[in-house]
Amino acid sequence: MKQLFRTIAITFMLCVAASPSFSQTGKTGTYPPIDSDAVEQFGGPEGVRNWVEGLFYYIMLDNRINHVFREFGNIERQIYLNTQLVQLVLGGDVEYQGASMAAAHADLGITLTQFNAVVEAAYNSCERIQLTYEACNQLIAGLAPYKHAIVTR
Amino acid sequence: MEEAKRNKFPLSKGAALFVAMLASSISHGDLFDSGKVLATGGVSMIDGAGGGGITPWATITGYATKEGINGDLHYTYAPLANYTLHSVGAAVGFWDRFELSYTSSSLTTGSTFDTLGLVFDTVGGLTDSVAGLPISTGIEPFNTTIDMEVIGAKVRVFGEAIYDSDNFIPQVAVGAFYKTNKNDELLTTLGADKTKDWEAYISATKIFFPINTLINITARYTAANQTGLVGFGGPDGSDKEIRPEISLAYLLRKDTVIGVEWAKHGDNLNGQSVEIAGLDLTSLQPTLETLGLSNVAGTLTQNESDWYDAFVAFFPNKNLSITMAYAMLGNITLTPDQHGFYLSLQASF
Ligand code: HEM
Repeated sequence: MKQLFRTIAITFMLCVAASPSFSQTGKTGTYPPIDSDAVEQFGGPEGVRNWVEGLFYYIMLDNRINHVFREFGNIERQIYLNTQLVQLVLGGDVEYQGASMAAAHADLGITLTQFNAVVEAAYNSCERIQLTYEACNQLIAGLAPYKHAIVTR
Repeated sequence: MEEAKRNKFPLSKGAALFVAMLASSISHGDLFDSGKVLATGGVSMIDGAGGGGITPWATITGYATKEGINGDLHYTYAPLANYTLHSVGAAVGFWDRFELSYTSSSLTTGSTFDTLGLVFDTVGGLTDSVAGLPISTGIEPFNTTIDMEVIGAKVRVFGEAIYDSDNFIPQVAVGAFYKTNKNDELLTTLGADKTKDWEAYISATKIFFPINTLINITARYTAANQTGLVGFGGPDGSDKEIRPEISLAYLLRKDTVIGVEWAKHGDNLNGQSVEIAGLDLTSLQPTLETLGLSNVAGTLTQNESDWYDAFVAFFPNKNLSITMAYAMLGNITLTPDQHGFYLSLQASF
């Protein structure tokens, strides 16, 4: 009985701990799930890298947000880490070596308007690399829950 | 503020305070915000609230995030078989939390009411003598127009329609409309109980990005006949009931959404004929027949159908949306098969 209670308690604590912190350890669990071939839809790891480069191209063209990246960012490092992260949330078998989304953005005071500007850059990059809107939305679904960690204002 | 202090009237004091608050928010930053992603403000439904075409959604109208306010002007044109709806209004979304809207609708009625108007004119003398009073039915021989004003408010209660892809919790909002129909006489003729009434609704909206789909479910607590264009309630009074509405939208491109909607309508006036001075028109049937107007009799019973539409909404940019739909509204009062195209424009600022 005690054993059972402990198992339930531990399972509960794991669930509670796992959901809000949203640690970057694997594919994002969305409802309904992201397509199982999402990374392939992007053209594999190379395609994901192209998309991330496109993303930063459009971010740096957007006056609402580029100053934040110029001041606090490191574009080369962010392209490298985002290429890992995007594959991961889409279900790719990679390791993400960067900081958690909460830690990376905690001090930046990011607004929802700024977050949405990155989402718009994300769609622009999808179009630029000729990705279908449907494939693009797999990624939007995968990154969307990070809003809670990233938007702090 | 000096001005406001000297002012005697509390209302204008309040207004001045509000303006001062607005002014101070402007000085703190930009009050106007258009930070939502394209299309995520939705369009304007016919009652003026943010939503689809006929159903209010849980989204707050306009492109403001919680950092500001944003509003829109909207115009809807729906030329149906026998009626044409024009609806024009404005709505403002505050901090992605609260929404206020105003819409003025006019429904010009075509051949059915023209025929009826002629009938009334023809039998007018007779009914006058029956009732001993001059009678006004509110129906002119030609061009009877129904006017209605709608004031709406909506509050987002909880949830996140767009970004919480990792759970099933929808964005939920509650709202209400206050509708004033200007055609007392016509509504009496048609048997509606009230010309003014409120309705309330709760909406749940959620986008499912992996399948490019938006779902909205609304429950509206109302006694409206044809959204209030034919008044509220009927011979049995105007008790409100809960009516479900559903919008299903497919996100086709980042600037294009297609979908279908269904809204349950009531039956307050179903089977109800037309009354003139307390006389059910069916009792005038023999008279109509002697006058060679018996063919009208078939159209003298009212019915109401659920509303359906299929739409495509196009968002060329954050300042404009164009919604085109095919609306299937079924029976409207005396006329069946009221289907037709629907165009709605929304300009956001
Ligand atoms: C879903 C959206 C976003 C994702 C997936 C994302 C991802 C990342 C990643 C992977 C890093 C690197 C973390 C590390 O260095 O270990 C990072 C850092 C950073 N992000 Fe984001 N980010 C997002 C939104 C934003 C937004 C909206 C802004 C600002 C407008 C922003 C600004 C920055 C900056 C300035 C850094 C560098 C922080 C530092 O090195 O101290 N990010 N982000």
